[in-house]
Amino acid sequence: MFKQIKDLAGGEFYLIASLLIFMAFFIMVGIYLIKMNKTHIIEMSNLPINEPQPDEYEEV
Amino acid sequence: MQLEKFTYDNKIVRNFGIATIVWGVIGMLVGLLVAMQLFKPEMNMGNQYTTFGRIRPLHTNAVIFAFVGNAIFMGVYYSLQRLLKARMFSNLLSNIHFWGWQLIIVSAVITLPLGITSSHEYAELEWPIDIAITLIWVVFGINMFGTIIKRRERHLYVAIWFYIATFVTIAVLHIVNSFQLPISFLKSYYVFAGVQDALVQWWYGHNAVAFFLTTPYLGMMYYFLPKMANRPVYSYKLSILHFWSLIFIYIWAGPHHLLYTSLPGWAQSLGVAFSVMLIAPSWGGMINGLLTLRGAWDKVREDVTLKFMVVALTAYGMATFEGPMLSLKQINGIAHFTDWIVAHVHVGALGWNGFLTFGVLYWLIPRIYKTELYSKKLASFHFWIGTLGILFYAIPMYWAGFTQGLMWKEFTAEGLLKYANFLTTTLQIIPMHILRSIGGALYLLGAIVMTYNLAKTMLRGKLVANEAAEAMALEKVVTNEDPADKKWHRVLERKPMKFMVLSMIVILIGGMVEMMPTFTIESNVPTISSVKPYTPLELEGRDLYIREGCVNCHSQTIRPFRSETERYGEYSKAGEFVYDHPFLWGSKRTGPDLHRIGGKYSNAWHYNHMLDPTSMSPGSIMPPYPWLITQKLDTTQTEAKIRAMQTLGVPYRENFDKVAQAKLKEQADVIAADLKQNNIEVKSDREIVALIAYLQRMGTDIKANKTTIPSNQ
Repeated sequence: MFKQIKDLAGGEFYLIASLLIFMAFFIMVGIYLIKMNKTHIIEMSNLPINEPQPDEYEEV
Repeated sequence: MQLEKFTYDNKIVRNFGIATIVWGVIGMLVGLLVAMQLFKPEMNMGNQYTTFGRIRPLHTNAVIFAFVGNAIFMGVYYSLQRLLKARMFSNLLSNIHFWGWQLIIVSAVITLPLGITSSHEYAELEWPIDIAITLIWVVFGINMFGTIIKRRERHLYVAIWFYIATFVTIAVLHIVNSFQLPISFLKSYYVFAGVQDALVQWWYGHNAVAFFLTTPYLGMMYYFLPKMANRPVYSYKLSILHFWSLIFIYIWAGPHHLLYTSLPGWAQSLGVAFSVMLIAPSWGGMINGLLTLRGAWDKVREDVTLKFMVVALTAYGMATFEGPMLSLKQINGIAHFTDWIVAHVHVGALGWNGFLTFGVLYWLIPRIYKTELYSKKLASFHFWIGTLGILFYAIPMYWAGFTQGLMWKEFTAEGLLKYANFLTTTLQIIPMHILRSIGGALYLLGAIVMTYNLAKTMLRGKLVANEAAEAMALEKVVTNEDPADKKWHRVLERKPMKFMVLSMIVILIGGMVEMMPTFTIESNVPTISSVKPYTPLELEGRDLYIREGCVNCHSQTIRPFRSETERYGEYSKAGEFVYDHPFLWGSKRTGPDLHRIGGKYSNAWHYNHMLDPTSMSPGSIMPPYPWLITQKLDTTQTEAKIRAMQTLGVPYRENFDKVAQAKLKEQADVIAADLKQNNIEVKSDREIVALIAYLQRMGTDIKANKTTIPSNQ
């Protein structure tokens, strides 16, 4: 199963480089997420349901 | 701080909503027709405008760009205004966007049955329409960013990130995949050829799925699902993580459509590796959606809109698990070119896109009409008949796919192909195709019931064209007050233009890594000295092959499996396609591969087969093409075509265009004379002669001279 990823006849560079780019990218986003401000997150996730709506549009 | 009063534009939302419904029903109806043509060739209706090859693209374009496209704009125009607390930037732009998009769809409805097609899958429309799409897309972009700029909400909610990524990526994909050299008002050749054209097309094709059928729908899911369930999204952090990883990874996965072809191996491997990784962000989205309903599952039982959303998310989860599995070479070797792929696509299309659209329509229409849904019972009926329709569609198609994929590969104990006649494998799965069209009919019935239900709802209410709202104006940000405001993502959420540029960089990386080496390093497409440009007659024949949409049922790429080289001949080499503008590898084998059809049968066989396929292959489901025999070949553009090919680097000798007509007639006369010897009287200037010339040429360059194949191939 891994042959198709391992035996690349010199093309490994592309695969390894792109995997590294993605790992770096993923870790960057990961670190940012860990450091994110909690209250900001709550505020953001409530954006769609906090919007003021006229009475007629209340959930029934 | 002043409270500002303004209104939301509901009229444009309503217009896109109606367009969604109307085009949805039409697109599905055409889908049902093409499905029936696959077991009852009479359904081709005996004329060239309704044959499978011409209207299958009409079905795909109608459901993707007309049904889903209008649904995206409906969802975006509704949610964007509310998430930004601002009316759409410009009423005029909204209207230009709406009518422009409908006009583009109408032009597709006219041109595709006429055989005016570029042949790139899901991008069949010719260059003037491509330009119109670009302009209207820019109008949409200006309208969206204009609204973002005049917003009253400082930070952009995650749904809007998905909309921005959609806008920017579709723009890039559409432009790169439309590099065409026009020959006349409605005919052009792609600038890239063969392997490179294939890579561009599937980079586009796969990411059209990603950024037209997925990201805008995820954005809609992130807005409408919390609204419907009346609770915030399960994890906002997960939404950030899965947004960035999704747009980064998706763009790399295109080559998994070209496994075992002559695309360089390293590019195929990249496609596989990134497709497998794609499970993570896709499931991140699905899990985030489903868990948003935590503690609200009792509502799912009551609320039909939530039922639609749950099935949509489940279908999304299934399709995005299956996709990576299908990209594994071993599985792909069996599944590719079969109905398995059709099943996979329709789980996504009917389940994810269709059901999410229905859910949003049922939720949104009563709200903008200030009334209640006309009938909850009918909506519930729609839900169940639709679900049943999906099952009746998908299960037989999976069955057909497994069956045919395995039959193609089965050998007898003596080492011969067990089903040497391709037609045997087609006839085997006819019952599955009948069941599939029943599934499609059930699904369509559901959509018609919805149309009635929503029309009644609209009639009993009154559209709130301009819905009043109020919000505080935005103050200038003083970043010194809160250090958190300086953080990069916080900044990005405030700076939409920077956000757009960053997402563009993220999506460009994958495309560039895959395309640049394929385009620039010669060893990636080894040339073969015996491969020569098409003769003028063959070139005209090839354009007829494109016009009739033969590529919809016949592939032109033989994979290096024994089961394929036994059946079709020598496997396809990259160097054989260097003059193919566009490539015609296809993605589905309803009929056999044609890459080595040249020289396999006589001219007379081809003539009779095109006139009545069943005369040569009893039981064949291929439609007859009698008009090719009566219609005169249009050679008014032959010189221009030769010159265009020269511009694109095809090595015709200098001034070849001047002798092209004479050469064309010379070759046509030879074919007509050969047919006459077999008691077939046909004038040499008929279309059939050109098509036969092309069919007889296909794959013969190296068939005739095997010694010229490079040793590394």
